[in-house]
Amino acid sequence: MELLVVNILNFVFATATLALVVLGLAIIFGMLGVMNMAHGEFVMLGAYGALVVQNAGLHFLFAIPFVLLLCIIVGWFIEWSIIRHLYRRPFDTLLATWGLAILLRKGIEAIFGRDYKSIDQTLPGTVQLMGVDYPAYRLVLIGLIALFFLSIFLWYRKSNTGARIKAMVTNPALASAVGIDTRHLARLTFIFGVCTAGLAGVALAPMVRIDPFMGLDYLLSSFFVLVVGGLGSLEGLLTGASVIAGTDVTVSALISKTGGYIAVLTLSILFLWLRPNGLFSSR
Amino acid sequence: MAYFRAASIPFAVVIGLLFVPFIWDTFVAYQLGLYLLYGMVAQGIALCWGRTGFLPLGQALFFGIGAYVSGAALTQFGDNWLLLIPAFLVAVALPALLACGVGLLVFNRQVGSGPFFSLITLALSILGFQLANSWSTVTGGFNGMTGIPGLPGIDSYEHLYYVILAALLFGSLLLLYLQRAPFGQLLSAIAGNEDRLQFFGFHTGLLKAMAFGVSAGLAGLAGAIYAPHQGIVTPQAVGFLLSAEFVIWTAVGGRNSLMGPVMGAVLIGFLASGLRDTFQYWEVVVALVFIVVVLRFPGGLAQLAERIVPSRHRRTAIQARQRTHTIAGTKTQPETNLKFDHVGLKIGPVTILDNLALDITSKGIHCIIGPNGAGKTSTFNVLSGKLPITSGQISWAGQRLSGMRVDQVAQLGISRKLQVPSVFAALSIDQNIDIALWAGRLRRRDYFSMQPFAWQTELLGDLETRFDFLHNGHAPAGVLSLGQRQMLDFSMTYLGEASLILLDEPCAGLSSAETVEMIEAIAQINQLTGACAIIIEHDMQVVERLSDHVLVMHQGTLLASGTMANIRNNAAVQAVYGGGTK
Repeated sequence: MELLVVNILNFVFATATLALVVLGLAIIFGMLGVMNMAHGEFVMLGAYGALVVQNAGLHFLFAIPFVLLLCIIVGWFIEWSIIRHLYRRPFDTLLATWGLAILLRKGIEAIFGRDYKSIDQTLPGTVQLMGVDYPAYRLVLIGLIALFFLSIFLWYRKSNTGARIKAMVTNPALASAVGIDTRHLARLTFIFGVCTAGLAGVALAPMVRIDPFMGLDYLLSSFFVLVVGGLGSLEGLLTGASVIAGTDVTVSALISKTGGYIAVLTLSILFLWLRPNGLFSSR
Repeated sequence: MAYFRAASIPFAVVIGLLFVPFIWDTFVAYQLGLYLLYGMVAQGIALCWGRTGFLPLGQALFFGIGAYVSGAALTQFGDNWLLLIPAFLVAVALPALLACGVGLLVFNRQVGSGPFFSLITLALSILGFQLANSWSTVTGGFNGMTGIPGLPGIDSYEHLYYVILAALLFGSLLLLYLQRAPFGQLLSAIAGNEDRLQFFGFHTGLLKAMAFGVSAGLAGLAGAIYAPHQGIVTPQAVGFLLSAEFVIWTAVGGRNSLMGPVMGAVLIGFLASGLRDTFQYWEVVVALVFIVVVLRFPGGLAQLAERIVPSRHRRTAIQARQRTHTIAGTKTQPETNLKFDHVGLKIGPVTILDNLALDITSKGIHCIIGPNGAGKTSTFNVLSGKLPITSGQISWAGQRLSGMRVDQVAQLGISRKLQVPSVFAALSIDQNIDIALWAGRLRRRDYFSMQPFAWQTELLGDLETRFDFLHNGHAPAGVLSLGQRQMLDFSMTYLGEASLILLDEPCAGLSSAETVEMIEAIAQINQLTGACAIIIEHDMQVVERLSDHVLVMHQGTLLASGTMANIRNNAAVQAVYGGGTK
């Protein structure tokens, strides 16, 4: 019973964090048509941001404003210098953001070195939940992520900006013809996407090994989620995240980490082969 | 022959490289040998990326598999060539088959150069890295497979260097041949307009998977020589870092060129060996160069070199086709019987086709008319396999079409011209015509034979006298006017001599003189080939001249069908067109 509860909590935690990591990629790919190959590198930037804050002797929570600022600046610069020239040229954005990913990796490697780093944040202890001790940090994170998704969902449905974004996604030419500044909106969307990735990096930083190549894993697992869940809906994103996280957690526990990776990769290839639009396709 | 003229470039490069060990020392030969091996892998990437338009990001996987297989064989079999040769074949064949298989799965329903394929290859390379690290009984784990002996009988780096040059020459000549054969021309067509190629009946997913397989085989070959060259194979040889570098070398060297990627690998390799340890930001600079090259100089160094030294070969290679081999014009025609049995098509909440039922059982020309949004083009889309129907049944000559891919439908003798004229703009008029002639005629071995370039048919001769610009065969199709593109596209649609021809607004965008020319062409060419043609048209002048049978569609169903006079007097049709309400 206790084992079951722990496993379920682990599964919920893995799903929640994965969903947070995917969100930015899904937004940028789903709304702007840009497969941001440097998505994982923004998660990495978030984690390194937390490291910098720690090295400066500040409280862990200062990492949040610091990383947000960092991601806004870097995201703005990248959108301005590269991405905005390439909307509707998907292959070129793939190449450019791939180059960007290499650039960010190598830049971080040149500054911080190639070796593993970690955050020595003493996390709050454990909490009694349904008869098991579970790390409080994880529970808080699950709650915050759920709250974050709910508020984004409601905001997107109710707000004017949400409606403008929908207009831009469905018909960019018409949207700009009726006075929506699509260039501005696209830039904000891009920056918002990379900021969520950066925040995910901060949230995960105390629990993972931090190194210049950590982004690749996040890029790939996010991509697996999109393949399985399908593009363009929150249900798809959450279902995809739970399928991928569930498969990974289960197979990793039963066989090995590599086994879990093989399982999700095989699942993604099968989806691309048989059901290329995922479980929840927007059309 | 043109092939031998073009082959002189790799020959010249390799002959030039032969002298390196005499001029410089052993260490240079060792380094250069390594970079040339990397260059071979980059050449394979260029075949996929520059030629065909999809980007593999995990090519080191295949390089590493080749290296591990060869390393294990050399360690186990020592100097027994009888066992080594089959092992080397495995080192090439295994990566090739693996790539082909993955390509077939991923390309099955993916058209174009979407990011999915690239990400899957990246994921595979990371998986390879993990396996190489953890499967230590076979690979030696993190420390790698060590103490790999050299190739038997080849005891110095100079001698191994000549082996590498031979492999490079072999790979380059093979790639050159493949690119010049129909196979290569079809790969270029995929990069240009994959959808259109599918309507000619080519299984583009298979072609792309084969190109990927060739590139992986080449990477395996390079890896197989890498193992004895280095004496050690570590998981790095499979990993994403090396994979990313392969892509960078390909881009910087020139992804559209044969020898450019080799140049990129050698140049960056030597620069890196000099600068990597002294200049901390070297790799950052390389990444920046990659971004700039990808966005601003897609031709890379090769293009730069070509600008400085204009190639003679380029000019001599351009000559009109000598079409000397006349092939049979008409094939056996199946019975003309097209049947839509209560076909429904829904996309989301929208009903596009609503219980559409129609029968076409006679040869000749049939016209579909109807207001915008009536479902005319969607009818073609479901018929040609572009859109899956949600209910009902479509059959042609007794064969049910549901669930077939676009190319499978086309193979049944159904040829379609899209509404917007779509020719392969980057290819010459001759090459466009080649592809249309090959539709439904190219057998498996013809893909790798030069003979199909000489194919000629009676119909082609007829079309060339009718449309004079077709004689100007070496001009790129991209420079043609809209009217000429329509005519080229129309000609291409008929050249495969399909039994069912679908023409979507063949006269759209034509001047009135061109329209008259086109009407005449349709009438006469269709008469000549004896096909059944279905034409979507808004221009009543065209309909009246061409058709003995008119079908009127409205809101996804068939409103009326009959002769032009019948349709004119039909009250329902009058209501739709003149009544003001839809």
